[in-house]
Amino acid sequence: MKLLAWLGRKVGGALVVLWLVATAIFIGVRLIPGDPAEAIMGGPGSQASAEALANARSEYGLDLPIVSQYFLFLAKLIRLDFGTSYSFKDPVLQIMGEVLPPTINLALMALAVAWLLALLLALLAMRANKFGQLLGNAVEIVAAAVPHFWLGAVLIMLFSSMLGWLPAVANGTAAGLVLPVLTLALPLAGFLTQLMRDSLNTAMGSQFALAARARGESRLTVFRRHGLRHAALPALGLTGWAFSSLLSGAVVVEAIFARPGLGRSLLSAVLARDIPMVTGIALFSALVYIVVMALTEAIERLIDPAGAES
Amino acid sequence: MRRNQRATRLFTGALALPLAAALIAGCSSTNDPAASKDAEPVAGGTLVYASGDAEPSCLDPHVGGNYPQALVASQFMESLFTKDAEGKIIPWLAEKTEVSTDGLTRTITVRDGITFHDGTKLTSEAIKANIEHLQNPNTASSTGYLAVGKVDRIKLVDELTAELKLSAPDNALLESLSMPWTAIQSPQGLKRDQAANCAAPAGTGPFKVESWDRQQAVNLVRYEDYVSPAADAERASATSYLDGITWRFIPEAASRYAALQSGEVDVIDNPQPDTISTAADNGLGHLDAPRPGASNRLELNSSKAPFDDVRVREAFMHSVDVNSGINSLYFNTAKRSYSLLSSVEPLGISDESKFTTDATKANELLDAAGWTQRDSEGYRVKDGKRLTLKFPVSTNQSVPAEQSLFEQMQAAAKPVGFEIKIELLDLSSWYGALAKHEYDLVSAPYTKVGPSVLRILFHSDSTVPAPSGYFANNAQVKDPKLDRLLVDAEQTNDETERAELYKQAQQIVLDGYYVMPLYDQQNHFLYSKNVHGMGQTTAVSSPIYYNVFLDK
Repeated sequence: MKLLAWLGRKVGGALVVLWLVATAIFIGVRLIPGDPAEAIMGGPGSQASAEALANARSEYGLDLPIVSQYFLFLAKLIRLDFGTSYSFKDPVLQIMGEVLPPTINLALMALAVAWLLALLLALLAMRANKFGQLLGNAVEIVAAAVPHFWLGAVLIMLFSSMLGWLPAVANGTAAGLVLPVLTLALPLAGFLTQLMRDSLNTAMGSQFALAARARGESRLTVFRRHGLRHAALPALGLTGWAFSSLLSGAVVVEAIFARPGLGRSLLSAVLARDIPMVTGIALFSALVYIVVMALTEAIERLIDPAGAES
Repeated sequence: MRRNQRATRLFTGALALPLAAALIAGCSSTNDPAASKDAEPVAGGTLVYASGDAEPSCLDPHVGGNYPQALVASQFMESLFTKDAEGKIIPWLAEKTEVSTDGLTRTITVRDGITFHDGTKLTSEAIKANIEHLQNPNTASSTGYLAVGKVDRIKLVDELTAELKLSAPDNALLESLSMPWTAIQSPQGLKRDQAANCAAPAGTGPFKVESWDRQQAVNLVRYEDYVSPAADAERASATSYLDGITWRFIPEAASRYAALQSGEVDVIDNPQPDTISTAADNGLGHLDAPRPGASNRLELNSSKAPFDDVRVREAFMHSVDVNSGINSLYFNTAKRSYSLLSSVEPLGISDESKFTTDATKANELLDAAGWTQRDSEGYRVKDGKRLTLKFPVSTNQSVPAEQSLFEQMQAAAKPVGFEIKIELLDLSSWYGALAKHEYDLVSAPYTKVGPSVLRILFHSDSTVPAPSGYFANNAQVKDPKLDRLLVDAEQTNDETERAELYKQAQQIVLDGYYVMPLYDQQNHFLYSKNVHGMGQTTAVSSPIYYNVFLDK
């Protein structure tokens, strides 16, 4: 019963958030300069006739009062109708279906690699001496701070231009995935390690860890059985945020490595003033965020039932 | 105009490649790596092309009509006319053409024996269907639409001949019909809905569209029934050497270049100037194919203060040193222009004297124009208003080197007392700023074949905005004498008179200090050393890969 109530609260909350996001997008896209009818009739600088522009306006309902447009927009959303892309003239849902898998794939792999690296680094940091700790700390801060576009360019220069080990642009092979995934994963790994190390240090220095050591357990066992759990919690709580940051990072990474995906679609849709595409992608990103947040909350409850109650 | 080096070599050296290549090679120059000189053409292999332009939303260049569309469509669509190496217009899909003495009837006969990719035969019906497609508002053509604006109606005389009735004489019509934006596609294909035709237009070119994986690649394959319209084609095999072309979109310049260096791609466009200058040292080939039409230039908005005063416009020309900026930022890959027209336009005139750097002269002119005071920051002031120039820059059309050049100008114009306010904008916002007249300076490239581009850019009619707010006459030149010259130049059927009229028209614009020419519209391609036979281009300088082959 408790689970059902929790689920009900989540779904209700999600719907409210989605409605707010949809409304914000509806207002937002109308504030950016550029005539939507022009975007439909060949993009900026088009020489579409007044007649053609009028046709486009009525076909896309742009000639209706703004309030009617808003309710029409909501009514369509409820039926999962995201409309037709201005520039591609295909349904938005169909285009998103094409570009979504590569982006989700990229983000999930980056997330996995980032966690793996973060755990590894946290483990190393625990065993390191003072100097090693300092060095590790510096590396993490730098990794967490570098922007994706810079990191991507450096990785290409290093591993593609100079060493020739990996392809510079995505080509559908596994090797082509390495650099994009690393570009997304390294900053996140740095960030996660920072979070983990603090709580790991606290956990490993705490009474129960000392007690466990006194019972004769090895450092590694204590780390695995007690430290890791404490260390992972704050990082896990931020995984929802991390995943959405990966989606936004995908905009940059997909452009640098010429990968197809949601991020690249978003960029070109914004530049082309393709309002249905922008709306669809933004709403979808909000949905992903909500789902991932709910999932991480559920996992947190599993790891730390006491914490979830408070 | 630069000589086509490859064309010259073909005539003097071993005739490994057909004459046809030389005939329509346009005005490009290449520096092939030494190895390719003796290479024997071999058939086979797929060339990977990487474009830095945004992926078109439609492969049919009738729809919209921009350069990225022309680049890819040049492989699968052909035009009625094209340009020879001297820049002269010659028939291509057309066999012959003539015009009535009053200039109002243009008769065009297409070649017999040519088939579109969908199996439809090329007939006069195709001329009619294509021009009507361009004129249909639902097509949303902007470039091609303007090009065929004077065609009133089309009569089919026989299977191969069509008669175009014009609303006014138009000696630029053949030039207009040489551009990829008016290329001829299958009338059957045009009957499909727009999305279907956009995905795979059926042309007559040496390659055809096999598939288009959005955001990944347009896959082109050899058209096995290709018939080259060149009358004297000597090629043993009339089809392309390449099995196909994988047309990719790699927006990042650094990634594109890295992919070329590592051999992942064979040809790239939009290379950065520094990589062009070191191409030969890195064993890469370089094709320099300046676009026709207007040169890249700054236009001075003469419709409002401060540039409504010709003295202020002249002062601006003398206040900045453009040449050293171009040399350093473009690594000597772009040549300074003093012409309104591209260097590939035979009728362009240059006037270097108007654009000397002379701060003393600039200061005198501004003093004379009443901009005598200076404010605390050193900018000139008149009637309490600062001498400010709004300069919206499209990050889409101005490469980083050009943006840096503008920043140098900004610094150079300050001592004279100009405040240049550069605003970097995306394309939609940039068009928006122009439509609202929120500019004093602007750089707006314009590609078109032939000097009639001058009418689009400088006739007073072009100050009247289209429904979208777009107008082409950014300098806001309104001069009845100039208008007359531009109209007459388009209507005469005498070549010498045409050249003379265009010369006078250009002189008026240059004398009025409306425009500061910078350089040709840059159009460079880098290719790896296993690519041979580069150099053939369309009338708008987009490369054609019909004669290109790869080392095996």
